[in-house]
Amino acid sequence: MPAENMSDKRMSKFKNKGKEPTKMRDRRIAECVELRKAQRVESILKRRNISSLGDEEPLSPEFNTDNEQVISATIQEIVASVNGDCPEMQRQGCQAARKLLSRERNPPLKEIVEAGLLTRFVEFLGRNDDPTLQFEAAWSLTNVASGTSWHTQQVVEHGAVPAFIALLASPMLNISEQAVWALGNIAGDGPSYRDALIECGVIPALLARLTPDAPVGYLRNLTWTLSNLCRNKNPFPRFSAVQQMLPSIIQLLHHSDKSVLSDACWAVSYLTDGPNERIDVVIKTGILPRLVELLGFEELSVVTPALRSIGNIVSGSDLQTQAAIDAGVLSALPQLMRHPKSSVQKEAAWAVSNIAAGPCQQIQQLITCGLLAPLVDLLRNGDFKTQREAVWAVTNYTSGGTVDQVVHLVKCGALEAILNLLQVKDTKTVLVILDAINNIFLAAEKLGEVDKLCLLVEEVGGLDRIEFLQNHENNTVYRAAQALIEKYFSEDGEDQCLTTEATDTNFVFGASEVQKRFDF
Amino acid sequence: MELNDANLQTLTEYLRKTLSPDPAVRRPAEKFLESVEGTQNYPILLLTVLEKSQEDVIRVCSAVTFKNYIKRNWRIVEDEPNKISDPDRTAIKANIVNLMLTSPEQIQKQLSDAISIIGREDFPQKWPDLLTEMVNRFQSGDFHIINGILRTAHSLFKRYRHEFKSNELWSEIKLVLDTFAQPLTELFKATIDLCQTHATDINALKVLFSSLTLISKLFYSLNFQDLPEFFEDNMETWMTNFHNLLTLDNKLLQTDDEEEAGLLELLKSQICDNAALYAQKYDEEFQPYLPRFVTAIWNLLVTTGQEVKYDLLVSNAIQFLASVCERPHYKHLFEDQNVLTSICEKVIVPNMEFRSADEEAFEDNSEEYIIRDLEGSDIDTRRRAACDLVRGLCKFFEGPVTGIFSGYVNSMLAEYAKNPGVNWKHKDAAIYLVTSLASKAQTQKHGITQANELVNLSEFFVNHILIDLKSPNVNEFPVLKADAIKYVMTFRSQLPKEQLLEAVPLLVSHLQAESIVQHTYAAHALERLFTMRGANNSTLITPTEMAPFTEQLLNHLFKALAIPGSSENEYIMKAIMRSFSLLQDAIVPYIPTLIGQLTHKLLLVSKNPSKPHFNHYLFESLCLSIRVTCKANPDTVSSFEEALFPVFTEILQNDVQEFVPYVFQVMSLLLEIHSNSIPSSYMALFPYLLQPILWERTGNIPPLVRLLQAYLEKGAATIASTAADKIPGLLGVFQKLIASKANDHQGFYLLNSIVEHMPPDSITQYRKQIFILLFQRLQSSKTTKYVKSFLVFINLYSVKYGAIALQEIFDSIQPKMFGMVVEKIVIPEVQKVSGQVEKKICAVGITKILTECPAMMDTEYTKLWAPLLQALIGLFELPEDDSIPDDEHFIDIEDTPGYQTAFSQLAFAGKKEHDPIGDAVNNPKILLAQSLHKLSTACPGRVPSMLSTSLPAEALQYLQGYLQAATVQLV
Repeated sequence: MPAENMSDKRMSKFKNKGKEPTKMRDRRIAECVELRKAQRVESILKRRNISSLGDEEPLSPEFNTDNEQVISATIQEIVASVNGDCPEMQRQGCQAARKLLSRERNPPLKEIVEAGLLTRFVEFLGRNDDPTLQFEAAWSLTNVASGTSWHTQQVVEHGAVPAFIALLASPMLNISEQAVWALGNIAGDGPSYRDALIECGVIPALLARLTPDAPVGYLRNLTWTLSNLCRNKNPFPRFSAVQQMLPSIIQLLHHSDKSVLSDACWAVSYLTDGPNERIDVVIKTGILPRLVELLGFEELSVVTPALRSIGNIVSGSDLQTQAAIDAGVLSALPQLMRHPKSSVQKEAAWAVSNIAAGPCQQIQQLITCGLLAPLVDLLRNGDFKTQREAVWAVTNYTSGGTVDQVVHLVKCGALEAILNLLQVKDTKTVLVILDAINNIFLAAEKLGEVDKLCLLVEEVGGLDRIEFLQNHENNTVYRAAQALIEKYFSEDGEDQCLTTEATDTNFVFGASEVQKRFDF
Repeated sequence: MELNDANLQTLTEYLRKTLSPDPAVRRPAEKFLESVEGTQNYPILLLTVLEKSQEDVIRVCSAVTFKNYIKRNWRIVEDEPNKISDPDRTAIKANIVNLMLTSPEQIQKQLSDAISIIGREDFPQKWPDLLTEMVNRFQSGDFHIINGILRTAHSLFKRYRHEFKSNELWSEIKLVLDTFAQPLTELFKATIDLCQTHATDINALKVLFSSLTLISKLFYSLNFQDLPEFFEDNMETWMTNFHNLLTLDNKLLQTDDEEEAGLLELLKSQICDNAALYAQKYDEEFQPYLPRFVTAIWNLLVTTGQEVKYDLLVSNAIQFLASVCERPHYKHLFEDQNVLTSICEKVIVPNMEFRSADEEAFEDNSEEYIIRDLEGSDIDTRRRAACDLVRGLCKFFEGPVTGIFSGYVNSMLAEYAKNPGVNWKHKDAAIYLVTSLASKAQTQKHGITQANELVNLSEFFVNHILIDLKSPNVNEFPVLKADAIKYVMTFRSQLPKEQLLEAVPLLVSHLQAESIVQHTYAAHALERLFTMRGANNSTLITPTEMAPFTEQLLNHLFKALAIPGSSENEYIMKAIMRSFSLLQDAIVPYIPTLIGQLTHKLLLVSKNPSKPHFNHYLFESLCLSIRVTCKANPDTVSSFEEALFPVFTEILQNDVQEFVPYVFQVMSLLLEIHSNSIPSSYMALFPYLLQPILWERTGNIPPLVRLLQAYLEKGAATIASTAADKIPGLLGVFQKLIASKANDHQGFYLLNSIVEHMPPDSITQYRKQIFILLFQRLQSSKTTKYVKSFLVFINLYSVKYGAIALQEIFDSIQPKMFGMVVEKIVIPEVQKVSGQVEKKICAVGITKILTECPAMMDTEYTKLWAPLLQALIGLFELPEDDSIPDDEHFIDIEDTPGYQTAFSQLAFAGKKEHDPIGDAVNNPKILLAQSLHKLSTACPGRVPSMLSTSLPAEALQYLQGYLQAATVQLV
């Protein structure tokens, strides 16, 4: 049944939970089919350069219109100028194209490509003699590459990659920066272009520009491009590339600029979003304490990727999780669980759910560091997605925790909170809650306190809800609810083995079989 | 099967015959159709008849037959032949949508069902053009067709509401969204526009509103799993229109029917569900719209009437508000005092009112009323929803809400006071309001366990509840009386004892009320009060306190059973049982009269047992009568036997299955009271009890074992002398029982009784067989439960027949067997034995093995001596299991294990724990010390040396303690 598979699948995302150790986990649900809009909190894959320069002359009225005729007329003029031999005309044409491509709305990316301009633009990148032309061409190509995959493909197939890598070394900072940007867009397109760039030696060329005197604006672009080179799975960027970039990323994580920090954090989050070997590489850099420190920042743009990184790390092995705990993550999480943004609460709850999937020593640390109270708060008051993660935390906790730990969680109000959530409109969450309830009952059985627990469940209205689930349309849920009711709220059956001969009036007494040797 | 006229004609005739009322005509026709349904073209012929027949009944019959055919055959089961040929499948899929849409409604419904069955298997992969075909029909402008499509879509998509997320499922939804979402949105807008155009045409509106309801249902299904990008982008369109529809009223669409929900109600109810879905799951995106919906839904509630047809809408709407008001960031929508007041006044109070429908149920359908009101099966009623809203609001606004309601309660009570005859429902609502406001946590067992501290329950009791309880005419305002009784019952844990005592005689007088609900509540309230615990774990209300009312209580309870409609009232019977149990000796004078009434009742219900609870409490009451009376005077047992045996005989002869286990239990109770020998009336029954057929019913096993144990205890000698031929049959029962993992412990109970009570000579010849059977079971399926029972038995054997006999019989079955059992079973497992008596048996048995069995000293078993002693010391020093206190009075029958299964254990037929060793050994530790001392004097020097070389220091220390306590020394 697909239903049970799904449950298993999520289960297997937690370490230690019914999965083969060799099986690689895909950690985030993002790889599944999505119905939703792409996540807004994620960093952007590609960016268009629409910043206006200080020396920008006012645009002529027709430039501001969306009129197709005007655009096509303009493009024809551009083609004419760019294909001509006059350097001045080339510069003007290139600039006109750049301006079109930098409009806030509806830039004519496709039209520029179809006008066949890319060959010339790429050619202009090599014109070291004419920095203005180089710059305008680089900017234009950057913006074309910021479009869809098709647009990016056009830029790459016109041979822009080696040209841009060469431009990185340009003595003109603005040209080098534009090359950084363009390469970032190409890397952001996906794993194959990312790896193509790495093959072409983009990493040493980029890192060469990472100097103490580089201006902040330049560093921001550079960090962003590096982050895109760390990004995407299937496949991951190869280890050697990661090893090359990591020291610089770590260095950037100590920068004072928030935007640099944000992208450096995103880079770490991409690198940790993989199998345990990938996580290990990051942990070995000793960056964990700094990441934990960044969790305390005010800027959402820093906190979000830092928290994502931590979340990824604690979904790794028990040792990796312990490393994060030792770095102090548990003292940072409570305030994130109470963060005003529900997206942060959700990520924090996700991290907690993974720590709760660990051995009972780590569960104990959740208790010691005071995470249960905020967890119960989230169960009660979080938004739906947060509640869902918090429910997973409870289920993991109750399946791995000791009896005492489970009792403690119940005393903190978690049972009542999850029972209330039995009415959520999400079948899987309901099932996960029933699982947690079952775990709690198992603990109560060990203590001989099933009756007490039954009363508690009934008192807070949980029995009504579980009974109601016996009418659930989903068979698995209905059976799970029925099993709970039958096991704890009513009576159970029995089974048989050997048989005895019987007549109408009597059973026949006597051992029937041939003697065997007894051996206990 | 060719597609020709002759075949069509034949099929038509067979279809016609399936409609015949005469089974002789109908059955063969049905059989024939089933026999040909595997033939190619069969479904196509059916569809052709459906399309072409001139007769409507044949067309409908063909549609139903087709749907059932699809249901049985469409799914392709792995490893089974494909039951429908591929060309038929293709042809069906090609034609069915069109056929459905052009058919009259009755047929459309059948075909639509068939489509969804096919869709469940084939959609989307094997039926790729279904969706586009459907969407294209939206353009038709014919709402008969459009509704057909929408209905089909609904049956295809509604599973999205309850299935687990999976890539497969989400891919399907994505596909549906890509083709369906945009046209659905357009259709939604167009339909709403058409509603404006046809605002005065009732027939058009009816069709259009059905479409809108279906569209809203589709919206729910498509949005259930996650918020789709398309709907997020188009939220404005959908939500604005939903909001408008919620606030819309159209006189034409109002129905006269009071019971059945109209189109408008169905639509609005679904919109409430949609809004609740968004509020719960997509809070962030929905936030801008939510306040509007809160206002609209609340206005809707304010303007909706009391008729039953609005119940679903109102309860959905209230549940929406209840779920929103609990969320911290919407708190502000409610916190204004005026808003709270308005919600209380216009939403909560009106929906708590006692309606005429409730009144009818109270009078004419009291059983259902009681179940709903008392046991809480009122999940989707208005009152329940209103209660939930009160509880939701109390999360943040307990103070203000309590304040506002106090005002309402007072004004409603004032209204009532002005003219009780007319305004009694105001008081009912006031009491309901107080109850819902005060209750924070509740269980069946204890009533309200946590109350709102802002409500003075005791004061309300004095000022408003007592007066109804005291009213001289018990039959006036039965609803208010029932309310008052329920109040006492609900808040019994909160009210002071004086007030409860004041209520008791009043409740007793309400047992006489004509209203079934009222006297049932009175009985139930008394029963609950009698189970309350006071100081020292005794009952809160004592028999002495009850003395002045005892006669009246018993009198009224039995009289209430004579009121029409209550002759098998389980609440009354339970109250009788509980009264007996509470009053104990005080009931003795009444029993001679009452036992006749109980027996008479038993005779009546045994003709046709229909109320299991009633019957159970009836037997419990019988047991109590016997126990209490015979405790005072054991000789009266024969008078009970005289009264009961005729009925029992009838029950056993007629094999009234429900009652047989009860009869065995009561008989055990009676037999156990006999002090010396077994009466011949019992012995006559002995062979009957060994019949295999009785033991096949699992429910009979525990009471039959218990009864046989009683036979053995009282009549072992009689059995040995007059029924020795029955001993193999008795052992056969034991053998049957130990073969079962579920019943093996019962087998051991029986075996223990046999060993304990039967004269040794009578069983000598069977002993070896018994052990072989036990070993076979130990070998084949060893469970902890079995091992525990086994250990108790072998030690009992050692106590009874001596350790040497035990060792010899083991070793005669197989050499070295005794050592193996001691080493592999006794030493490692003995600590698992639980129960004081069981531990004592083991302790004494092991002591004998250690000190009275030469083989343990002088053979290779000697190496086991010290480990066995160590295990025994471990058994002594383990923390003692808490034994269950002897307070059966408080046992809730529902809690006793075994209840509801076929075995209905009677709590008051309870057996006293039996200690086969008894006073012979008071302190097994002392016995061990003394026995060791005896052993050491028999072979001086050996015991101390075995102890010092093989016993760990800690165990040795404990042992020194025992020796000191026994003032003996080892030599």
